[in-house]
Amino acid sequence: MDEARERFTELVALHQRRASRIAYQYLRDVAEADEAVQDAFVKVFSRITSYREAWPFEVWFTRILINGCLDRRKAKSRRDRWFVGGGMSSAQEARASVARSGSDPEHQVLARERRARVAAAIDRLDGRQRMVFLLCHFGDCTPREISAMTGLNESTVRVHLFRAARKLRGLLGGKL
Amino acid sequence: MKRPIHLNDEYLYECYLAQRQGDAADPPIAEHLADCDHCAARYSELALVMDTLRADGEAETDEIFTPERLRAQQQQIARRMAAVGRPAQVISFPGRFVQRTIRVSTLRSPRWTAAAAAAGLFLGIALGASYEWEYRARPSPPALNTRGARLAPAVRSPSADVGADADFLSDLEVALEHPRTRELAAFDAFTPHVREVSDSR
Repeated sequence: MDEARERFTELVALHQRRASRIAYQYLRDVAEADEAVQDAFVKVFSRITSYREAWPFEVWFTRILINGCLDRRKAKSRRDRWFVGGGMSSAQEARASVARSGSDPEHQVLARERRARVAAAIDRLDGRQRMVFLLCHFGDCTPREISAMTGLNESTVRVHLFRAARKLRGLLGGKL
Repeated sequence: MKRPIHLNDEYLYECYLAQRQGDAADPPIAEHLADCDHCAARYSELALVMDTLRADGEAETDEIFTPERLRAQQQQIARRMAAVGRPAQVISFPGRFVQRTIRVSTLRSPRWTAAAAAAGLFLGIALGASYEWEYRARPSPPALNTRGARLAPAVRSPSADVGADADFLSDLEVALEHPRTRELAAFDAFTPHVREVSDSR
């Protein structure tokens, strides 16, 4: 069991960064993304016996991660319906700290504004379009892998990808 | 004049995806991009927007998820993995509290408590039984002949009625002359009585 844990820790180190990137882009909250990644790895570890080698490990893992992120997003929308958000979110705090520590304040501010604009535009995408787009452009997944993760047809994935990109360009005014 | 044919956006995006994955684009599309400056410019613009979007997202995540944060996350995952498969354990605070409560309650309930409860119950039953026995042994009071009283005729003589009326009226007069309520005595003194009014007439 200890050996299995050690080997799994290596696997965590290998996929952790990409997983954090997907989760953060999906949830836009550092603490939530951190927890989602942890949950996904622990879930994968406890259910490793159900893994089938028809698909690479990262496809299976990403599917679990995305399902966790979807649940968290739903829970957050339910919470937001009842509670008024006060102050800065953890993501905003982290970004603010980055901005504080940065050497070029103007560049940092511009980058922050641009990212906020992009995040708002991505948030306005349809649920499937958003998921497919994030997996492709931030998770480095191919349309075929996304098809395996989401259960959608590969051609449907390509259509969603194109529509998401077109809508994003329209929302962002064709430029970044 | 023949109108030039250009690639639509969907083809351009497919071409971008293929290039990003390291695959070769469709030969006709690749040929057209090589020949048509307009489509090549559109493709370059699309690729620039998508690449910037991606690079920006990566940079943002890398700034937030620093190596230290990732290491802490890894340690946290390792801790949680170590707990997988272990039997569930009771959380320390309520567990200790409950154990201490149980121990204290078992130590402070000696046997004499049960004996005292039994003795109290016995005494209660004995007293109740003796009281009931005494009540039964007491001679019963003579029963009232209610039936006879009910059947007795309520006949009165006319002379007795007249006497009773006179008594009632005299009682009423006395009561009016001397009010029993001390607080009203002053008002009574100021108010002329019926008799005084009739006398003055």
